[in-house]
Amino acid sequence: MSDAFQVPDLPEDVRAALRRHILALADTKRLLGLRYSDWLLGAPSIETGIAASSMSQDEWGHARLLYAMLKDLGEDPSPVEHDRPAAEYANAPSLDEPFSDWAGFVAAMVVVDGALTLALEGFSQGRFDPARSRVPKMLAEEEFHRDMGLAWLRRLGQGSDEARARLQQAVRAAVPSSLAWLAPRDRAFGLLVAAGLTAPAETLLDGFREAYGEVLRSVGAEALEPDFEGWDEIRGRGPGQPAEELVERARGDRNRALLLD
Amino acid sequence: MKMPVLDVGLPSHLSVHKSGGRDLWSEPMETHPEDRNAALLECLHEVLDPEIPISLVDLGLIYGAEMDGDVARVRLTFTATACPCMEFIREDVTDRLEQEHWIRAVEIEEVWDPPWTTDRITARGRDILRRLGVGAA
Repeated sequence: MSDAFQVPDLPEDVRAALRRHILALADTKRLLGLRYSDWLLGAPSIETGIAASSMSQDEWGHARLLYAMLKDLGEDPSPVEHDRPAAEYANAPSLDEPFSDWAGFVAAMVVVDGALTLALEGFSQGRFDPARSRVPKMLAEEEFHRDMGLAWLRRLGQGSDEARARLQQAVRAAVPSSLAWLAPRDRAFGLLVAAGLTAPAETLLDGFREAYGEVLRSVGAEALEPDFEGWDEIRGRGPGQPAEELVERARGDRNRALLLD
Repeated sequence: MKMPVLDVGLPSHLSVHKSGGRDLWSEPMETHPEDRNAALLECLHEVLDPEIPISLVDLGLIYGAEMDGDVARVRLTFTATACPCMEFIREDVTDRLEQEHWIRAVEIEEVWDPPWTTDRITARGRDILRRLGVGAA
């Protein structure tokens, strides 16, 4: 399209902000795929486990395409994928630790995957051509994740008192940091918005509330507000970092010696 | 144009090739074709999906193919972003085309725009899938 950015013309600070944004999306995809994969054999039914497997595969496919966007910035994505320490991961913070139970998985499907999809929609509507051309396929695949997440949220929301309590706890825990990750209020994100590379933070938040507000309120998550305490402007996320064990799996550390050309 | 895929019926054996995408390859053409773009597409018709015996062309994965000098440029997509057969497909396309004497090199561009959907499967592809018992609504 005619208003697309020519990457070489990007000011250095905008380029750095764009790199941070790509990493936030790609890292979240990669770690979400791993967290989903933890439940392939622990889901409440075989069919749901298969769905978790498919979603896990989707997330890794999306991560691959997102990391590849670094090439468009002139950077080799391989070290980014295989060498970075956990402290540099820019994922949504609620993926740092494993889901404590199935309610945690369901909360992630709706809150984290939902926020991620909103972020991708904003990115695909911006002026970065690789996002315009590659993200629509991801969004099409994400429709199934949304359907699955909402179906399970409603199901647990109509379950036992224990089920509702656990779901409410999981959703309330995931929302604040995920919404901050979705809609940063810092300078770097402002640069992206000003450059027309993604949607404004308030638009993204409004989109999340419109898409998920009613159903989340129905399970007791009334406050859909971001929490910016301890914000890390370098990574574009809240405090903390993913568990080392998770990042070792994401990088493929144990299989590094087995890599084939 | 030759359309070899599955005209003799469904495969009755497991593939003995490096990938199922190579099961119906012809020998290289003996002479250089007059219409090299048409010949290029004909070669691509012989490259099958590694998992289902339907050509990449009929599956709608080829978004463009043309000769640039003696370099074949192919625009290729996949059915899913995490398609586990991506590398097989790339290798099959490259190897099938490079066995032709009139093709020196193959350049594959991975594209995702427009996103692949089942709408891109040809009528012939739908017929093949139907015979295989695969729905493509």
